[in-house]
Amino acid sequence: MPLLTAIIFLPLLGAAVTALLPQSRPDLPKKVALGFALVDLAVALYVLVRFDVGAAGMQFVEKASWVPEAGIQYYLGIDGISVTLLALSALLTVLAILASWKIEKKPAFYFAMIQVLAVGMSGVFCALDFVLFYVFWELVLVPMYFLIAVWGGPRREYASIKFFLYTLFGSVFMLVGLIALYLHPAAGTFDMLKLAELGGSGAFGAGFQWWVFAAFFLGFAVKVPVWPLHTWLPDAHVEAPTAGSVLLAGIMLKMGTYGFVRISLPMLPDASQSWSWFLALLAAISIVYGAAVAFAQSDLKKLVAYSSVSHMGFVMLGIASLTPAGINGAVAVMVAHGLITGMMFLLVGMIYERTHTRLIADVRGVSKTAPVAGGLLAFAAFASLGLPGLAGFPGEFLSLLGAWNSDMWPGYVIISAVGVLLAAAYMLWMVQRVVLGESSEAVVGITDLGAREIGLLVPLIALTVFIGVYWSGLLRYVDPAVTSMLTAMGAM
Amino acid sequence: MVGYWQLLPEGLVLTGALIALFGEFMPGGDRGAVRIGAALAFSAALIIALDGSSGTLFGGMLTFDGPARFIRAGVAGLTGVWLLWLSGRDIAPDEPRRRDAAALALLSAIGGMVLAASTDLITMYMALELSTMPAYVLVGYRRRDVAGLEGALKYFLLSLLTSLIMLYGLSFLYGSTGATLFADISLSGTGALGLIAALLTIVGLLAKLSAAPFHFWAPDAYAGAPASAVAFVSTVPKIAGAAAMVRLMHVMLPDEPQLQWILLLAAVVSMVLGNLSALPQSDIRRLMAYSGVAHTGYLLLALSSGTQYGYGAVLYYAVAYAVPSLAIMLVVAEEGPALADMAQLAARRPAVAWSVVVWLMSLIGIPPLAGFFGKLYLFRAPLEAASTPWPVAAVVVAVLVSVVSAGYYFRVIRQMFLADEPDSPCVVPNSVASNIAVGIAVVATIAMGIGIAPLLELVGL
Repeated sequence: MPLLTAIIFLPLLGAAVTALLPQSRPDLPKKVALGFALVDLAVALYVLVRFDVGAAGMQFVEKASWVPEAGIQYYLGIDGISVTLLALSALLTVLAILASWKIEKKPAFYFAMIQVLAVGMSGVFCALDFVLFYVFWELVLVPMYFLIAVWGGPRREYASIKFFLYTLFGSVFMLVGLIALYLHPAAGTFDMLKLAELGGSGAFGAGFQWWVFAAFFLGFAVKVPVWPLHTWLPDAHVEAPTAGSVLLAGIMLKMGTYGFVRISLPMLPDASQSWSWFLALLAAISIVYGAAVAFAQSDLKKLVAYSSVSHMGFVMLGIASLTPAGINGAVAVMVAHGLITGMMFLLVGMIYERTHTRLIADVRGVSKTAPVAGGLLAFAAFASLGLPGLAGFPGEFLSLLGAWNSDMWPGYVIISAVGVLLAAAYMLWMVQRVVLGESSEAVVGITDLGAREIGLLVPLIALTVFIGVYWSGLLRYVDPAVTSMLTAMGAM
Repeated sequence: MVGYWQLLPEGLVLTGALIALFGEFMPGGDRGAVRIGAALAFSAALIIALDGSSGTLFGGMLTFDGPARFIRAGVAGLTGVWLLWLSGRDIAPDEPRRRDAAALALLSAIGGMVLAASTDLITMYMALELSTMPAYVLVGYRRRDVAGLEGALKYFLLSLLTSLIMLYGLSFLYGSTGATLFADISLSGTGALGLIAALLTIVGLLAKLSAAPFHFWAPDAYAGAPASAVAFVSTVPKIAGAAAMVRLMHVMLPDEPQLQWILLLAAVVSMVLGNLSALPQSDIRRLMAYSGVAHTGYLLLALSSGTQYGYGAVLYYAVAYAVPSLAIMLVVAEEGPALADMAQLAARRPAVAWSVVVWLMSLIGIPPLAGFFGKLYLFRAPLEAASTPWPVAAVVVAVLVSVVSAGYYFRVIRQMFLADEPDSPCVVPNSVASNIAVGIAVVATIAMGIGIAPLLELVGL
């Protein structure tokens, strides 16, 4: 059974069906989309369960010729790193559809776009051919553009085109890099595993690696986003509809860091080593800058957006450490951030639906009138600031630990650790203002969360607690892949 | 083996042109004649696509090989799409006459098809003129429209001038080598004269391809012309011109490597100038004219590499550019030439709006559409052949300006999906034939991308 193909292209079928539904039944698209997404999630969970946890290599491999002349293949496979992200993206797609239950503007168009987005997201994590990877990588841009541009906030046109051009700018450099890699006399293939093998065996010269790394860096760093390439993110997040924010923060940012782990590190090990100080520097700046700017935000959604910049900095720090602990931590932060920030954006969206404002000054004392919403927001904030026992903790802890044990200048680690404190401060301050205290005018009389809303948060809450307590369960998947990659690139 | 029957497709297209000329006597009038023309063009394309034989004809004046097959099929097929569309629409709102337009397009198609196969200086020149002459008339098709006539005259004069410059170059080529067959021409040992001859020859083709600095005619000529005429004029002759350029470079580049720098320079100037000039345009015909300049720049970039890969990439991309570009102009011809005329197309005609999105994405180079693979190969060729950093720098410029191009293509998308509904939106009557033409273009844009493998073999990659 080509399970990965099924996971990737089932949403495409769903999108086609959704787009062709009769316009006289505006209630149908969401149901059809949810149906497809649930089946997709079921297949993804099946893959997750059937995944051979101890093994290091690629599993569920599918291979077919596509453009034989250039060695472009339809080549899919997953290891422990990708399978977790694949399952996460299937889960968040379901939740994003549920969170959009009240969309009334062009529902068929909307749910078709969400499903096309899902195609690109799962495709990126499964692709083992570089051109195929690029196909999926670019595929996410178009639906996300429309999600922001059509269903976004007041400045949606600006935010959507900025998002598109910014990411396109990064990815065209990745395209040049991947052509350069292919043209290297030793390579002549787009097979990502083979390229990684060649990289590990030292087939690419140091100077060549340097340039290609720079090209890939632009492609991936824009997506993460790493300071100073992050400016599209707050705009996109603030203007995007809730589901768009959830998928953007939950999955699409991870595509960037996944690119570093899957492509830059194993294919260009020498350049990765010599660039690691630079990645660590940008990571430390992103962490502290994101946190500091989050402090100053008066808009709840913008606060979460900047906290994302800060958290993705921990992922970059873990990657830059080039140690098993660091990269395991990086993947753990990727998963945890997907869950927690997804939860944050969902809650902010739910509060906004009721109060029609996201300004912290206007949304005060939520717990007085909506105790469940307030309590869950506090829970998400605690998870986000890295409280031990919740999912945010293990990843950031391991990233810092790995970075501390690596060769990098300890100053970066110390600066990053300050970021943890800052996160605690801005999150608690946010909780103090938004959740606690006297209700402000906009909050008075709002209804608490309904059954559907609580229901769609439950899986995120459960997983946050589960991973927080039993993070070795997550690392059992991730670690073999990380170890074998680091061994291959000679960093261990 | 080949024989004179190899020219059967050209014969079919010629028959179509003659029938179209006498459209008033046909059952169904103009419309019927255009339909017959479309059918004949499609069957010509089909015959070419199915016929895998290769060889030369007339002592080497015509060469039938993979590239010729690909380009001839492309020219005939696109002409068929254009005629199919025309059979359901008028060429301009106030211009019911269709038969002349159909005949002109078919004649131009013959020129293009022969040009793609020609490997002889005289044949090439004749074919090139045949493919562009009808274009002047198509541009000035509305006899009472002053702007259109001005554009047509400008186009005609500049094109004629560059044609003559080219002819001058060809005379030098003949004079210094004593041969008109490409196979017998060798520029080695001809010294400065050979270089001058090559330069003069290239100028003519650069102008036909609307490459900078010979692009000035394009925006004015297109902005005065009916959009439906622009759809044809800006794409079909260009495909054949690119093929002729490839054949000429095959002959010239090995002996005159300095030409690479000329091509590279023209490429960079065209890409930058075209993309930046397209940004502020509010008339889609002008916008697409400048975008055409930019795309010619991409073509020249690959051409300058002088490798088999570069040539193959040029041939593939010439068609990969022409299909969406032609199709977009057809939609513009239906809706109106101003950017504002596209407002809320998504609400009025969602299927057409999404088709335009597919074409624009292909032009930007979003995978897995034809334009993406085209660019993959276009950029690959100079990187592969680069012995100095300059071609690499040119590729970086190319990818940067292709991000710029997304900026103006998205202005069209913005209009279609986000702009306010205009006060009096034009109501476009439904036409099955035009819709089929649009559908063919969408399928081709996607299929040329996903199903690229057999095409690559054809263009010699």
